[in-house]
Amino acid sequence: MHRIILHIDMNSYFASVEQQANPFLRGKPIGITGKDQERSVVATASIEAKKLGVKTAMSTWEAKKICPSLILYAGDPEKYSDIMHRFNAIYQEFTPHVEPFSVDESFLDITEEAEDFFGATYMAQMIRTRLKEELGNHITASIGIAPNKLMAKLACETVKPSGLTVVQPEELIDLLNRCKLDDLCGIGPRILKRLHALDIKTFAELRACPLEDLQREFKSYGLWLHEAAYGRDSSQGVNANSSDAKSYGHSYTLPENTQDQTVLKRYLFGLADKVGWRMRRDGVVARRITAHVRFGDFTSHSEQRTVNTPTADGMDLFKISWNIVKPLLTSDVRLVGLSASMLTKNPSQPSLFKKERNMQSVLCALDSLQHRYGTGVWKRGATLPLNLKQRSSGFHFDHEV
Amino acid sequence: MHEMLNDPIDVTVAFKDNRVFPRTMRWNERDYKIETVNLVHTAREGQKRIFYFSVSDTTNYFKLKLDPEMLEWRLVELYTDG
Repeated sequence: MHRIILHIDMNSYFASVEQQANPFLRGKPIGITGKDQERSVVATASIEAKKLGVKTAMSTWEAKKICPSLILYAGDPEKYSDIMHRFNAIYQEFTPHVEPFSVDESFLDITEEAEDFFGATYMAQMIRTRLKEELGNHITASIGIAPNKLMAKLACETVKPSGLTVVQPEELIDLLNRCKLDDLCGIGPRILKRLHALDIKTFAELRACPLEDLQREFKSYGLWLHEAAYGRDSSQGVNANSSDAKSYGHSYTLPENTQDQTVLKRYLFGLADKVGWRMRRDGVVARRITAHVRFGDFTSHSEQRTVNTPTADGMDLFKISWNIVKPLLTSDVRLVGLSASMLTKNPSQPSLFKKERNMQSVLCALDSLQHRYGTGVWKRGATLPLNLKQRSSGFHFDHEV
Repeated sequence: MHEMLNDPIDVTVAFKDNRVFPRTMRWNERDYKIETVNLVHTAREGQKRIFYFSVSDTTNYFKLKLDPEMLEWRLVELYTDG
């Protein structure tokens, strides 16, 4: 028996939420950006903006050039996160097998609840009605129904916005034949380039390519490509317990490009503290730290270090990432970021060293404060902007100190 | 016009079906009749759960913040069409 998987993708999610909240933005081209709109990117373009050529991840100046009437609106991540929890709670009313895939996408395994594809279509319509009741008319979703996650996602992408696409097992090949290779989740620009080099430009050509040739070129990924070309998905089914984070990270676009080490240290330290706090809050420690730098000319560099002693201390994270970043500072930097991965549950084992035990108890006290009053209740002095003011009194006897 | 604010306001509300519906608000010595409640969402400030109401009248969009611990309302965002 085939499984029945639903993939639900909210349309232009951040923009739709803002249009739901603010009726004066409805029907207008809007772009959701970061706080500093001039140096930000369009995180989501509204359906109206997309029609005028604005694309996701486009820089704001480029988006404004293409669409001068574009309204830029600073995003509200807390709002989007709250709404995400609400729509996932709606999905839970229909099946316990819900796997959030990203902030605006989820997979649902409704094999038992729907019984067949007709039942699945009816259930998809009911979910859509519930979303409308709970969230309003302007937050809409596209839904794909297929026998596995890979094809459900592809089906969902074919009709947007507000599409409902059903692909039964015997229609998989037909769907693939109508799609481009890079429409499939898992075939990105690099894989596409390598496929083109093998003269494979369609799914029919991918199917015609012998498995041995694909494995020779792509190693183990060759098998995945071969299976995907037939609409088969070898990944595990819908995993309702997949909410554990794989990594924690933050990045920051600087207000202006700089090479000043004091400024860069301050921002990187602030990011490291944020990452450290989130890990301690979730009771995990990391062994791998990746630092990321984007330069003024938009070239990027990232590098990682794996450490023997796992950590969730902002100071450790900062030291490791600064060691990566420091030698790279040969030109102006636009963005810095760091992420922590290779996570394990924190065993809470006290350190043998007194200094480290003292630091752990300080962090513990600071974490209690953040739990009670929220993120940002404390900051290290080193992360505050340095603002030396001119003396207004005194005899300046300390001028040689 | 889009403004981020943090002004204390007076709000009259209706309670219906276990939900809160802001009806009128008084800000800057002026009364505003709330026509629609477009979206309600929550956010955490530490252990505190804060409620945000995105509401509008015929010409303005208001984002109202309710601190249920202090029973305090604030106007945090204003958007006027045009």
